[in-house]
Formats: sequence, structure tokens, C-alpha cells
Amino acid sequence: MTMQALSGLKVVEWCEFISGPYCGKLLADLGAEVIKIERPGLGDKARSHGPFPQDIPHPEKSGTFLYLNTNKLGVTLNVRSTTGAEIFKQLVKQADILVENNPPREVEELGFNYESLKKLNPRLVMTSITPFGQTGPYRDYKSCDLISFHVSGMAYINPSCGVDDIEQKPPLRGSENQSGLVAGLSGAIATMSAIFASHATGLGQHVDISEQEALANVMRITLGTYALEDVAWTRYRPVPLSEIYHCNDGLVYMVLDQDKTWLSWVEAMGNPEWAMSELFQDQVSRRENRDAGKMLIEEWTKEHTVDEVVRAAEARRIPCKAVNTVKESFSSELLADRGYFVEVDHTAAGKFQYPGAPCKLSLTPWRVERPAPLLGQHNEDVFCGRLGYTRQDLVTMRAQGAI
Amino acid sequence: MQQLPLEGIRIVDFTAVWAGPHVTQWMAVMGAEVIKIESNLRPDMTRSFFSNVNTNLTMSAEYSGLNCGKKACTLNMTLPKARELVKELIKVSDIVTENFGGSVMDRWELGYSDLKKIKPDIIMYSGSGFGRTGPYKEFPAYAGIVEAFGGLCSLNGYPGGEPLPMATFGYADITSAEHGAFAILAALHHRSKTGEGQYVDLSMTEVVSCLLYEQIMDYTMNDRVQGLQGNWNSTMAPHSCYRCQGDDEWVAIAVSNDEEWKAFCYTIGNPEWTMDERFRDGLNRLKNQEELDRLIEEWTKNHTHYEVMEVLQKAGVMAGPTLKVAEVVQDRHLGERGFFIDVGHPDVGTVRFPRLPWRLSEGPQGNYEQPPRLGEHNDYVFAELLHLSKEEMARLQEEQVIF
Repeated sequence: MTMQALSGLKVVEWCEFISGPYCGKLLADLGAEVIKIERPGLGDKARSHGPFPQDIPHPEKSGTFLYLNTNKLGVTLNVRSTTGAEIFKQLVKQADILVENNPPREVEELGFNYESLKKLNPRLVMTSITPFGQTGPYRDYKSCDLISFHVSGMAYINPSCGVDDIEQKPPLRGSENQSGLVAGLSGAIATMSAIFASHATGLGQHVDISEQEALANVMRITLGTYALEDVAWTRYRPVPLSEIYHCNDGLVYMVLDQDKTWLSWVEAMGNPEWAMSELFQDQVSRRENRDAGKMLIEEWTKEHTVDEVVRAAEARRIPCKAVNTVKESFSSELLADRGYFVEVDHTAAGKFQYPGAPCKLSLTPWRVERPAPLLGQHNEDVFCGRLGYTRQDLVTMRAQGAI
Repeated sequence: MQQLPLEGIRIVDFTAVWAGPHVTQWMAVMGAEVIKIESNLRPDMTRSFFSNVNTNLTMSAEYSGLNCGKKACTLNMTLPKARELVKELIKVSDIVTENFGGSVMDRWELGYSDLKKIKPDIIMYSGSGFGRTGPYKEFPAYAGIVEAFGGLCSLNGYPGGEPLPMATFGYADITSAEHGAFAILAALHHRSKTGEGQYVDLSMTEVVSCLLYEQIMDYTMNDRVQGLQGNWNSTMAPHSCYRCQGDDEWVAIAVSNDEEWKAFCYTIGNPEWTMDERFRDGLNRLKNQEELDRLIEEWTKNHTHYEVMEVLQKAGVMAGPTLKVAEVVQDRHLGERGFFIDVGHPDVGTVRFPRLPWRLSEGPQGNYEQPPRLGEHNDYVFAELLHLSKEEMARLQEEQVIF
């Protein structure tokens, strides 16, 4: 096995569902050793979340679990049992990083808060990813993808245009799962920064990630515009003709936000008379007359196919692409040429194509060394191989419900 | 005095607009020295992006919100002498970042193979819409284009409606930037162990495909193309956004099991409809959710969104206000956690910007210095780092190399 970028980093992941597991996946896919702790019996709740092949639920066949847990070692551990808590502490002692996404109050009640764990391992970087962070009045509130998207401010300004009657169209959560993914992503960056800090000090620290803040960061431009210009965006935000246009066989998204691209597009349409009117003479007027402009452009695009419109635009270096479904993007020549999707063969679930690397590193590439673990698959490797328990101990601990 | 984690790391930053500068925004906040390379011929275009109100700002909200803590110098890269100087700068740097709309760096003979010759352990980051290889490598892209192409738009919209853009607040830009920042940290980690640099190639389309893992897994497993869900969810009901007291005020509520449903009914005073057969279990609530949503709104519209959150959260039910832009800035939880920070601004004194979702328990809380004016750090870069004399600098300015 060749070295990967994060080879040698030891991570314990005490997480469920999306946010923490995505953080763990980002680390594991670049070579960190991630030991994932699951509850005996049911395991990570992602195991009960689809999609499942043929819609037949099975704890080892959840598409969500399979994707989010590649390259990890899986153990079962009841951290509420005495033996389970002891083993948890031993794992933490050996780790560089602990990622967890449990309710802060539960973590404290179990005695696994940072102040306690750092006594066991002063080098430990502990990353906590929760809906509202470790402090503040909402700290113990519950959340999910929908709630986080709304309390971050993202939903109020989504969709960014195309809503003609704001009263009838409520604020909108974006495509599902984004809240957890964005929080896990912020967690992975912050975790690595804490590892760099520990190079200098030899000491770990507590990384506090709030899902609400991670999403609010995504709209930092909107927040900046409010702060600096006192302009508060809503769901209807006229942008100068950068939007979705109907063609005769589908939709395209085209950006015409600059004079140069606008003029080239007018030429592509055969210089229609309306385009020369002062209603569209500059960026400000094109923004003000966005509705009329969109309608007139669509008169042209509706006479053409998506392919024709995209080709006409791209020939003039106007940013434009089809509005694809995931099936169409999955099947695109682009992602095939880039070798993006990877086939992963899982003992129970079988072979499927998975999304690949979010980023290509030339020397230490992203890769899937092993599929997501079966529930408790690496109990023996980890508990016997690293912590020195015997197989007989494992039998006892299983009977006692600790593993 | 404890340092920031990336102190001592220097980045030569060619990025502009949103996706690139957010990568280096993370790095600058975490302590790296980020030197923006611009010129009067090619300033970061967000400096002058038209603003809605105050068109005289020398720094727009977009620029300011993404460039805190950085340094800026001006070099006219169209001239060979400027490219020589930049190579000298790269020799004393650790990372080079760029997000041009095509292979500009190669044309300047500053591609990774060129840089490696002058600084063998350099880490080079390229962020682009479609990747630096493949059929679309020369195509310009905006977040909206990538979101359309990658399938994100097709999942953003109201049930039964059409795909809508999330585009203008740059969702794909910010999330790609964060994957890029993580990859750079991983590459730095590898360099700290081995002394080896590498090339990092990020395609925003590929990031979007990672973010849509669930829909892609459903497609590869079941050949199914998921449609628009709005605020709904395939397993929970109620799970939506409801009108509240006031003008365009909304609250999000999600009920994930029978226990929460009982708590919800009790909290709103057990009106008759909550006993209705149509809502007796999760499956029926899902089947009848339009009617359910209508009835819930009869209750929510008599309350403010914050009231609904407080009363439901106390009962253990997930709920959160749909915060408007101004409400995010004033939210007491975010306020108490210190999510906003007053950043110096050359035109308006100070501006309240969101921090990054990056919070470490030890050490300073990040570099959020005032964003630099064009060429503000020319003396530092050319005199201090490259040891040019006053006369040489004057000559280069005259020749429009430093320009």
C-alpha cells in the first residue's frame, strides 16, 4: 500500500448519520485510519435510511451508509456500559482525533466531554459537530437537515430567482442532506488545522462546529451585502439575465451578467431588434427589465434544442449548460473522461458505482481501499489486535451487551 | 503567545471572484500569509462588482467578505518580467492557488510542471468548474452553471414545479472552496511528513456530485431519478415550512417519529384534527401531508417563528425559525457564540461580517484583518520578500510591471 496524504493519522469516529460520518469519510478517503463506533444491534441510523437496492431495507445495503463510510473500520460498542466506556477510553488514548456528533448534554453525562478526555490524551483533537455548537442558548435544541437549512438563513433566500409570487412560495430547503455535509466538511478543515496547531504545541484541542454556522457561512456574501450595503436579499433577486431558460426539449442555465457576454448572446440570436432597445442597454437596465428580457430570450431558446443553445453559447465563451438530472450528469462524457465514478464491491450490498473524489491529489490520490464496514466487522481486529483483548473476552463482552 | 495553526505558510494566490478566494480565506483566517496577485489590468473582479446601493465603494461586500486577513500586490502578468518576479516569490512560498477559466497558468509557464522545477516541494491548487483535464477544461463556469450541470438544480424546487437556481449565492463555489481547503491541508500534512509537494485539481462539478451522493446512489442502485421534494422528506411528516405571524415570516417543523408526534399534538393543545385517522401514524401522515400542513399552518400563523421554536423544542420536537438575512445577524444564539465579527473596512469604518465556522478551544481566534486594497502590500512583497531596491521598484512601476 502506497502512502496517502493522511496515512498515519488515527481517528475514532463516534458519529451517526451524515455530518460526523462525512467528516470521517473525508479523512479516511485520504488515508487516515478511522475506527467507527456503532451501537450494538442497530448501528448507525444511516443503515436504516435508503436508498436500498430494489427498495428492500437491509442494514448492510443502505446507499447512504455505504457512501458515507468507505475506508473505515467498524466496531460495535455500547459506550453506556462500563466495559464499553472503558474500551472507548482506550481507543481515545491511542487516537490523534476523535470526531463526534452527539448531543452535548449526552456527551457530558457520559463523562466524554473534552475536559475529561484530554486528561487521558493531551494530544487529542476532539471535533464535535452538532446542530448549534457547544455553547449558546440553542445548544441542546434538536435539528435535522430541514431545520438547519432554515435557521441558517439559507432557506429564506432560496430559490434565488424564478419565484414570481413570494407570498405563495415558501422559503425552500435546497437539495437534501446539504446541512450535514457542509457541517462535516467544515469539521474536516478545522480538524486538520488543529492537527497543524498540535505540531507546534504537542497539545490537542476541542473543535466546536455548529451546523447553523457552517451553513450561514455558505451565504456569507449575502450577509456581507446586508452588512455593507444594507440590502437584504429574498427569494426573488433579479440578476441581470443569469438564469434558467426553457428550450424546446429541456432547460439550460446561462449566465449573461456582463456586457461582453450579453452582446455575444445577442449576436447568437441573430441580433433581434428588441435587444437593441434601451431596456437592455446596460447591466442596470437588464437587471431592471429582467422579466421582459427573459421572456424575449426564451422566444429564441424555445425554438432550439438544449444542445443547440449550449453549443451556440459556448462557441462564444458564454457560460451555459443543460439543467441535468443526476442521471444525465452521471452519464456525461465529462465525468467519464475524468474517471470520476468508482465501482465499489461490498460483500453484502454488491457492486455499485459511487461518487468519487471531490478533489484530485496528484501524488497521494483519493481512493477506496475498502468498502463501508459490516456492523462490527472489525471488532476482533481492533479489540484483540490493538487493545489486547482475547477472543474469549469478546464472547463475554458480546453476551454482556458491551459490544 | 500561541500562534495560529498555519503561521509560517505562505500562499501565492492568483484566485479571484468567489470559489478561489474562499479557499484562501480559510487559509488566511487560520494564519497563512496569503498574497493576492492582481493588477490594475486584472483586479479581482469582485472589488468592483456593481453594488445595489453604494456604487462608490472601492471594496464591494463580495470582495470584503472573502478577502479578510490577506495581503495584495500588483503585477502585470502579461509581461515576462512580472512572471519572473512571481517565480522569485514562489521560490519563497509553500502553496500556489489559481481558479482561472482555462489553462492560463500553463500559458504563463506557471503550470505545475514549471513550478515544480523552481520549487520542488510546491503545492499547487487549481479550482475550476469542470477540472483541469477532460473535454471541458477550457470552459468558463459559474456556480449556477455547475449546479445545473451536476444535477443540483434538478433537486431544488417545489414539488410538481420546475428546477430553480440556488445559483446567485454561490453554493457550489463555497462548498467547492471548502473541499479545496481541506485537500490543501491534507497535501500540507503529507509535505510535513515527506517533504513532497503535489498538484491538487478540484472540479466543482465533481464536488456537486459528492454532495448528491444519495440521489446518485439511488440512480446507480435502482435506476431511479429523484424529483423535487421542496421542504418535504420521504420519511418524515410533518416536515415543512409554515407561515407565522408577521410579514413573510416562516417556521420549519419536522416530526420524525410517533413519540415526537404525540409531543407535538400535546404542545399545540391537542386540537381535534390531531386525533384524525388520517394522521394516526407516520405512513398516513406522509400520505396526507398536504392537508396536515394546511392544518398546522392554522396554528403556526398565530405565533411568531421564534415562539414556535421555543415551545416545540422544549417539548422535544424539531423546529426552527426561517431566519431572514437581518435576523441571522441579530440571532441571539449566533450572537452569543460570537459568530459575527467587526472587520475594518477602508470606506465605511467597520463592517459586521460572519466569521468562518471554525472555532478552536485554544489559541487565537483567527486573522480577520481588514481586506487589502489593490497593491496595498507592494512594498512588503517587492522590498521585504524579494529584496528589490527603491530604484528597481520605481523602474518596474514605470515599465508597468508592478502595475
